[in-house]
Amino acid sequence: MAARTIDPVTSTETHSNNEEHVVIFRLGQEYYAIDIQTVQEIVRMQAITAIPGTDFWVEGITNLRGRVVPVIDLRKRCNVTVSDYTPETRIVVVSSATGMVGIIVDAVSEVMRIPADQVEVPSSVVNVSENAYLRAIAKLDDRLVSLMDLDGVLPGDGNYGSRVDGDGSAVAA
Amino acid sequence: MAKGQPLRFELDDDDLKLFSEEAAEQLELLDSSLVQLEGEPDPDLVQQIFRAAHTLKGSSATIGHKRMASLTHAMETVLDQVRQGKKQPTSDIVDSLLAALDALRILADEVQTRIESGVDIDPLVADLDAALSDDGMAEVAAAIRPAAAQIELTPEQQQVLTAATDQGKSPYLVEVAIADSCQLPSIRCYQALQELDALGVVGFTRPERSTIEAGAAEFSVVSVVASSESDDQLRTAVATISDIDNVRIQHLTVAALAEPIALLRDDPAGANQRAPGQARLAVTGDSGSPATAAGLAPSRKVAQSVRIDVERLDGLMNLVGELVIDRTRLQQVREQLAGVLKDANLTELTENFEETTSHLARVTDELQDQIMRSRMLPVRSVLTRLPRVVRDVAAKCGKKVELVTSGEDTELDRSVIEEISDPLVHVLRNAVDHGIEPPEERRAAGKPETGTVSVTAWNQEAYIYLSVRDDGRGIDTTTLRRKAVERGIVTPEAAEVASDQTVLQYVFYAGLSTATAVSDVSGRGVGMDIVRTNIERLNGQVLVKSTPGQGSEFVIQLPLTLATTKALMVTANDIVYALPLVSVTEALAECDADMHFVGGHRTLRLRDKLLPVIDLASALGDGRPRQLARDRFVVAARHSDRQVAFLVDRLLGEQDVVVKSLGNLIGNRKGLTGATILGDGTLGLIIDSASLVAEQVRNVAAIA
Repeated sequence: MAARTIDPVTSTETHSNNEEHVVIFRLGQEYYAIDIQTVQEIVRMQAITAIPGTDFWVEGITNLRGRVVPVIDLRKRCNVTVSDYTPETRIVVVSSATGMVGIIVDAVSEVMRIPADQVEVPSSVVNVSENAYLRAIAKLDDRLVSLMDLDGVLPGDGNYGSRVDGDGSAVAA
Repeated sequence: MAKGQPLRFELDDDDLKLFSEEAAEQLELLDSSLVQLEGEPDPDLVQQIFRAAHTLKGSSATIGHKRMASLTHAMETVLDQVRQGKKQPTSDIVDSLLAALDALRILADEVQTRIESGVDIDPLVADLDAALSDDGMAEVAAAIRPAAAQIELTPEQQQVLTAATDQGKSPYLVEVAIADSCQLPSIRCYQALQELDALGVVGFTRPERSTIEAGAAEFSVVSVVASSESDDQLRTAVATISDIDNVRIQHLTVAALAEPIALLRDDPAGANQRAPGQARLAVTGDSGSPATAAGLAPSRKVAQSVRIDVERLDGLMNLVGELVIDRTRLQQVREQLAGVLKDANLTELTENFEETTSHLARVTDELQDQIMRSRMLPVRSVLTRLPRVVRDVAAKCGKKVELVTSGEDTELDRSVIEEISDPLVHVLRNAVDHGIEPPEERRAAGKPETGTVSVTAWNQEAYIYLSVRDDGRGIDTTTLRRKAVERGIVTPEAAEVASDQTVLQYVFYAGLSTATAVSDVSGRGVGMDIVRTNIERLNGQVLVKSTPGQGSEFVIQLPLTLATTKALMVTANDIVYALPLVSVTEALAECDADMHFVGGHRTLRLRDKLLPVIDLASALGDGRPRQLARDRFVVAARHSDRQVAFLVDRLLGEQDVVVKSLGNLIGNRKGLTGATILGDGTLGLIIDSASLVAEQVRNVAAIA
């Protein structure tokens, strides 16, 4: 398993007010970024065990050196076209309010510091209520990057992956 | 009482932790022994109880827990009277002591929570004092005054000393106090005695010479020495010994030897006990011994056991869990390699490798076993709570009940011990309240007035069994049948045809109680269903047997540990599942199974039983597209009286599984207890078969 850990030296650098230190990854044709502080490690695609009866975007669980880590497919969660896994596909392991979670992305592109003056809070362009996890948009020279609020993707109350009705009968995903 | 106020104690976190551990130990000891105090107590028992109270008093005073110290002081005073035979331990006294014990437990918890609980000790102390005042406080006051700050010599001792003074020696009173910080005060006492021996004739010592020589003295020695040396020389000789706090010497007249001699220090050293204010937490290896804490240890020996933080043990257990997984994985690699290596004609290498892996497997198994055992505790700590429960319940419902326990040494994992106590107490309360008849009824039935409830623990294979048996009236199946129908648990027709054994199982359904009147103790119809749910959550079962007029028996069966579970590994729709072996009764190929459709439901006919068949993947809500395997298997599973058959794709064999949580994001899933790491490093899901079985039985009942 070729685990690539984010260089601890850069990741522990203080978060300055006038720039965002982020990990940028690709979902389909879009670029997203998350705060580097939340990223634990990035691993290649590995075996994932499905959990019956969970929401369609919950891929299942994986074994991260003896730890059981839930994995979600961020492409499904963000309504991005889902293509087959490629050698570029990665699981980004993040620590969130609900504990460690792995998120499947099409590729991790880079680690970057984005100056605050290139970041813009979304207004009319993006419908915020439907995309609660979109925190801001960064306008880089060559592309736009959506800054993602992980806790919007992964709500803090447990059992979110459940699609089981109150009476206990399961709903096919 | 300033309830809810934050509290401050005088020690740091480590010491407080030590205090809590010690307090818990002493409280448990009191819990188990106070009940036996009533009537004609065994002197050893009284002594033990007294010491426990004394130790608690000392340690609570040390950390500045004033209310706890006052209450234990009051208890100690009463116990001291009992110890000296001045007081009979009547049931009133025992009641007061038990009430005080309950309060102590809350007070001890305050040290953890650091919040004032609002326990009012004044009435409890008053109660205890009242118990004493019956035959006059004067006697009591005399008894509780610190051991006389004076000594008296016997005629023989006087003779020894006067013989020495006749030779020109002078008598001295020598009081040696050892520093509080001293780790081995007994040795210092002994050294002091030796010094004095060398300088003169030691005619009197307190504690006695034999005690000092046995190394059982504590922090002070009082002696009378006849010596030709001056008091300064004596002082210098003794003071050179390490850890001596101070030496006080008084020149005595020969005439004074015949009289009581007043000590120089107002220190109850005579009793060889530390005053409460001075008492501190013993931190040496044998701090657990109440005898040591009370200064009455027969001898000091190196402790054979150490206290280990449970978290550390849990950590070790997790590591071994990983090792077990790696072992399984290595064995798989070995099998794969074996083929390759054989082809390459590398027989010797193959054999070496196989030897090493199988040795590793053995060592891993052994290690796992040993670590598991280090987490085991005797079930005694649970059983010792029971006499009190029986006493209380019997008193409340006006019954005479004797409790007989056996198998206290049966060991089980501490995680199981924590979980077993409540269900066990509940079953026991039921046995006393529902099982045992009132004395008149028993007499009428030709039984002894006093009923017997026996609680027995034993091990068998990888399980522990706890049986609660009473010689009462048995469970009334007629009433149970009627109530089950009334509450809509079964249809009248089903109740009609159900065997008595089947009807007995109704006691585990919510809302059922055969008690005709709701009592304070039980009869509200909650409880037995919770007992069963809790036991099944631990991968265990509860069985019930009953004979009308002769009594009932509840048997709780539990795995020895919760850390690993033996499971049958199966697949369904390409997911590997672990079915805990405790519930699996047999597995067979679908083509060999006697399958029928009954009312549109697949049913397995297994000997004389009809089992509803559950497709495992569907029952778990696996809605992914699937290809049904051609040759499938059925696995029969049983939980208490309920049996079902799971339909699965393949059987993979047995494995020890280490239960891991699915994580907060996924949370608690119906029908799953967690995940486990498989030999190939991927994850399998552990089936909560009890809940699946219960659900299936409900569904079928709803249709029927």
